[in-house]
Amino acid sequence: MEYIILISGFLLVLIGLWGILSQKNLIKIILGFTVFNTGINIVMVTVGYVKGKTAPILDVISPEEALTSIVDPVPQALVLTAIVIGLGVTALMLVYALKLYQDKKTLDINNFKDLKW
Amino acid sequence: MVAPIYIIAVALGLAFLLGLLKSSSTNLGSLLMLAGLAFIAFVSGQWLYEFLINGRATEMIFTAGFKPPFSINLRMGMQEALLTTMINAAGLLSGLYLIDTLKKTGINSMTVLLVFVMSLNVIVMTRDIFNLFVFLEISSIATAGLVLLSSKGNAFQAGMKYLIATGIISGLFLIGIIFSYLYAGSLNIDELNAAHIMDIKGGAIAIFIIYVSVILELKPFPANGWGIDVYTAAKPGFSALISSGTATAGLYVAYKLLPLGGETWLPYFTIIGAITFIGSNLMGTRQQNPNRLLGYSSISQVGLLLMILGLSNQLGDNTLFIAFSILISHYAAKAGLFWLSGIVKSQNLEGWAVLRKQPFMLFLFGTFIFALIGFPPFPSFFGKWQLIMELATQENYLWMTLILTGSFIEAIYLFKWLGFAIKLDVPSNIVMKFEWNKYLPVYLMALTLYVIGFYVSPMVEGGAFINYIPLLFVLALFALDFLPVFVKNTISIAGIIYYMVDLFSQLENDLMRQIFAVIFLGGAVLTLMAGYNKKGTRAGFYPMALMMFAGLTGIIEANSMLEFFFSWEIMTAGSYFLIIRGKRSMPHGYSYMLFSIGGAYALLFGFALAYASGLDTTIAALGHITQLTTLAYTLLAVGFMTKTASLGLHIWLPGAHGEAESDVSPMVSAILLKAGVFGLMLLFLYMGTGTEGGDKLLYVLGWVGALTTLVGNLGAVFQEDAKRLLAYSSIGQLGYILFAVSIMTQLGWLAGFTYTINHFMFKAILFLVIGGIVVKLGTHNMYEMGGMIKKMPFSFIAVLISIIVIGGIPPLSGFAGKWLFYHAIIQKGWYFQGAVIFFAGIIAFLYLFKLIHSVFLGQLKDNHRNMKEISPWILIPSYLLIIGIMIFSAFPQKILQPIGEMLSVYFPESLHWEGTKAYTSLGYWDGTTIMIVVMTAFILLLGWLVLMSKKIKKVEQFNIVYAAERPFRPETTHVSYNIYAGYKKAVGFLVTPVVEIFWDSMSALLFDFAGWLRRIYSGNMQNYALHVVLFIVVFYLIALGGL
Amino acid sequence: MIKKLLIVGLLTGLAFMFYGLLISYNGNETLTGLGSYYAQNGAREVGAANLVSAIVVTYRGLDTLGEVTILFLAAAIIGFVLKLKKDEVVEARPVRETSELLTSASQVIVPVIFLVGVYIFINGHLTPGGGFQGGAVIASGVLLMLLANPTMHISHNIVATIESISGIAFVAIGILGIVLAGGFLDNRLLPLGEFGTLLSAGAIPLIYIFIGLKVGAELSNIIGTISYNQNEKPN
Repeated sequence: MEYIILISGFLLVLIGLWGILSQKNLIKIILGFTVFNTGINIVMVTVGYVKGKTAPILDVISPEEALTSIVDPVPQALVLTAIVIGLGVTALMLVYALKLYQDKKTLDINNFKDLKW
Repeated sequence: MVAPIYIIAVALGLAFLLGLLKSSSTNLGSLLMLAGLAFIAFVSGQWLYEFLINGRATEMIFTAGFKPPFSINLRMGMQEALLTTMINAAGLLSGLYLIDTLKKTGINSMTVLLVFVMSLNVIVMTRDIFNLFVFLEISSIATAGLVLLSSKGNAFQAGMKYLIATGIISGLFLIGIIFSYLYAGSLNIDELNAAHIMDIKGGAIAIFIIYVSVILELKPFPANGWGIDVYTAAKPGFSALISSGTATAGLYVAYKLLPLGGETWLPYFTIIGAITFIGSNLMGTRQQNPNRLLGYSSISQVGLLLMILGLSNQLGDNTLFIAFSILISHYAAKAGLFWLSGIVKSQNLEGWAVLRKQPFMLFLFGTFIFALIGFPPFPSFFGKWQLIMELATQENYLWMTLILTGSFIEAIYLFKWLGFAIKLDVPSNIVMKFEWNKYLPVYLMALTLYVIGFYVSPMVEGGAFINYIPLLFVLALFALDFLPVFVKNTISIAGIIYYMVDLFSQLENDLMRQIFAVIFLGGAVLTLMAGYNKKGTRAGFYPMALMMFAGLTGIIEANSMLEFFFSWEIMTAGSYFLIIRGKRSMPHGYSYMLFSIGGAYALLFGFALAYASGLDTTIAALGHITQLTTLAYTLLAVGFMTKTASLGLHIWLPGAHGEAESDVSPMVSAILLKAGVFGLMLLFLYMGTGTEGGDKLLYVLGWVGALTTLVGNLGAVFQEDAKRLLAYSSIGQLGYILFAVSIMTQLGWLAGFTYTINHFMFKAILFLVIGGIVVKLGTHNMYEMGGMIKKMPFSFIAVLISIIVIGGIPPLSGFAGKWLFYHAIIQKGWYFQGAVIFFAGIIAFLYLFKLIHSVFLGQLKDNHRNMKEISPWILIPSYLLIIGIMIFSAFPQKILQPIGEMLSVYFPESLHWEGTKAYTSLGYWDGTTIMIVVMTAFILLLGWLVLMSKKIKKVEQFNIVYAAERPFRPETTHVSYNIYAGYKKAVGFLVTPVVEIFWDSMSALLFDFAGWLRRIYSGNMQNYALHVVLFIVVFYLIALGGL
Repeated sequence: MIKKLLIVGLLTGLAFMFYGLLISYNGNETLTGLGSYYAQNGAREVGAANLVSAIVVTYRGLDTLGEVTILFLAAAIIGFVLKLKKDEVVEARPVRETSELLTSASQVIVPVIFLVGVYIFINGHLTPGGGFQGGAVIASGVLLMLLANPTMHISHNIVATIESISGIAFVAIGILGIVLAGGFLDNRLLPLGEFGTLLSAGAIPLIYIFIGLKVGAELSNIIGTISYNQNEKPN
């Protein structure tokens, strides 16, 4: 099970990168980013998975049996942080794209080559 | 003591507080921001002080009340304190610098700046890898935001490029973190480092991903277009902070994580660092925009530092010292340059000439450039020295070569830029406005460079003995630069005389050094005397001249190779500024500098091999080179020969000497060239004869010397420019000296010394007098002169005597040189070379005749009818030198005998003296007697002529009828114009500038290559993302993919 | 086309790398390392039933502070990027009439959404959720309001004040942790209370309230600024 999820996580990473590297439209590129980030988050969560165990919330599980019944909470905590960071970056990218569009009236990535060499 | 955690707490608290302010209260906001930046700078500075002064132990800061690895911890040790202090100082100064921009942009931007600086602190201090990730992200986002302080439209593009690239990098970084967590069970960097997860396949890949992310954050060539664009687009005030702060923090991250993968990964750091160092510098050569140029230079320096980290297992305990001294130079110089760029506000390098309106800023600009290249007394000099020494000890010649090559390429563009600033016309459309908040940071960074340089110098072996007193004198002259020439000249001369007296007491038993001390310092006094005829303040001249002389003194005084090299570089810097003062000297100063730096690196390489042979730091180590002996001697010889302008390395000289100011020419020609001679003599004495490689080298150098003479003399013959003629003549004379000392016998060296002393005296006279005439007549062209003998009789006599010396005509001392020389050649059996030299000697007569004839004889030009003799301030030193020549000619044994005795320690005696007679196996010569005979004859003839002169009928100049019309080109009427056209037909092919063509095509090749290479920076952000991925994949396939 | 092939090649290379990670991954049979420590001691030391919250807010509180900072930065940057010049008068852009359904429903649902958001961050130490999740939910309420009334102007001052005060409070609690408990961001400056109840886990609920408010305000701020900036100048 966890293999399938891990593989799909990696696949999402690659798909996201494909989007970033091949799409010409800035918005699509940013979408590629979110796919890329999602893939990474999935990979992270999967790495913390322990076979047959449940979420690390001790509501029905008592703290004493926690060790034997929950998955690793650390990657989940990290993913939480990573998601928020991804959100912040995505928001920024969108605003930059907006400004770039306002500047050149286009979203085609090939039009933003003022700086080179 | 304020706990380091308050760096985070206070900065963030203030940042949030700023959000409460009304958008109009930008003044209060900026005050709060500066207070915050000042506070964190204070905290880190306070810790630095504790570590430095009180030797406090490293402090761990635990958060959340739990011990690591369960909670995040920070570390504050010596290294962290140092780096955070650097970062915070740069942050505070950037805040101050940008204050107007920030106020205009609004309080939000102040918040971002504050948070940015704070995040760099955490990046340095944190010991948790995920925490590192979080704060790296903060710094990336803040960077992408602060780029927008620039109102230029391309800032958004740069920001977007940056976001995309760092987005990919940080995403992958997360994968690396999570898998290293999987295998190591911890996020704590210290635990990860100790976990050795390299042995697991997945662990190795995780480490790879972490490394590649960390390296990519450092913007390695060529996957760094996104980083360069940020440097280019951002306000220079902020680029300064990226260059100094972000790079510092990023490098420390790499350093922190080095143990993670262990030694197997180090070579990759080195290779990537080297590629970045050289690649970025290549790109730099093609830049016209100062900010972009600085961006490439920044990245190249980071590459160099990455290399040093990669070599840390070989550099051992010295790694941190080397890295720090190079880092701090880069830090201060780059911040200073970016800030300057914000003051100059020019979009092209040429506009920097505006700095000349504010000479002090120009001085700071020079300071930064020299610090970047690694000149003394800046920290990078010591760092580079130590680096090269250590690498040589480890026999890492490839890396040494690459580092020196990269540094050289960096010098190519930085000195071009400096030359522009010093020489180009001041643009009228650029105005530099004094704003204290922009100028102060620049001042402070320059001050940092000097202070830290002084502070680190004793940390290098042999560095504690560096004599700073001459440099302090130079500094004092800087401070007195506003005084009139007369005062400064007197102070300089007095200072030099005082120092010379002092120096002689130290050199009691060292005749060779005494001779060179007289040439350097005595020459300094005489040539400076000519300066009395200048008016005004002559801004900048005295510090630079004295700097050159300080360097020259230093190479005499030096006991260790470090001291020698230190002084050598000081001398180079001083002479560069002197040379470039000439009106049309920009290209010549530039090529002089490039040859000098190339030569200096050859020397450095040679010294390193000497050091590595026995871990001996004294100059005596040159005598026991066991590592790559032949190469070492060759490099050292080549290094010195760049200063003696030997064939192949001579092309800088004619322009540099010919175009220099009238009293600078004698300094650089009569005096400075002897530094190379001194170096060669020193080298040969230590090298000795009998070693196989050494003897081959000497044989080759003999030929080089002979051919240099030929080419130099031929070059002089076809010159129409009086000073260039003299310059070519110097090349020729130095060729004689090189040839003579390469013979490596007592006679050869005696000839070498005689030539050295003679050349010093006659070339000083010639350049002084001819230089004075050139200034007086306002032209360099000899065909525009003529008939000066009546107007300037004293000049004529001075030149005449000099020419007799050069020609080697008895009774003057030139004959002594020739006599010794040919005896030495015959004794040695170098007949073919001897023939070349002999041929060249005949040619010398041609240019000497041309010189004296076309200037002093022939027809007086109409516009020179009212000319007077040149200034007595030029004639006095010249005649003092003539007295010297006369004494040397009349009593050669007084000088040559002691030299011979000194040399007999090294060489078998091949000449002995009986009274005033010198004997060799081939015959004898008596200078004194010849002098008496010739003088008697001369006086008799003169008397007879005077008696007969009544019968002479003087022909006035216009006592003839000019036929035909005035020719269109006046020079064609001058008898000496193209006087040797016939010879040119016969031997002109010999003066084809083969060497110039060679060097020109080399540089063209370099520029073309850089131009071709930089097409990867297409400007397309998607391509830049592609480069990042490509970098990762290629690196992976090489490192772990079994490729 | 060549570029596409190059990209495919590169992604294959990356896939090759991921494959390496995949084959050496065996799945975890038992909880080890850091995770086991938190499982065993988290409840006792921090007192939060939601162990992820315990880690996010306390053990790795510095990360969370950083995370808040990132959103804050993003909002601040967007703030000065999209800032209009003072004299620039923005005319309301022509917008399509929003549907009756959307406007009416939003009036009903938005308060509920806000309530849910608050619930999520207040209970963050007990149930799945926390400050970010709650804040995001609140911001979605604001988004709905904007959709219903595109010309609505979100008061920047209010939002910024909430944002700043919660931020300052977060930092202040962190510093109090140094003074009253074991270190920066230590949640034990308040009593841990009874495990599993609302008033437990020391300062975690308090921190989560501020994070929730802050995230809600920041995201609303971002949305609002972008929406406001859509009012383009007529060319």
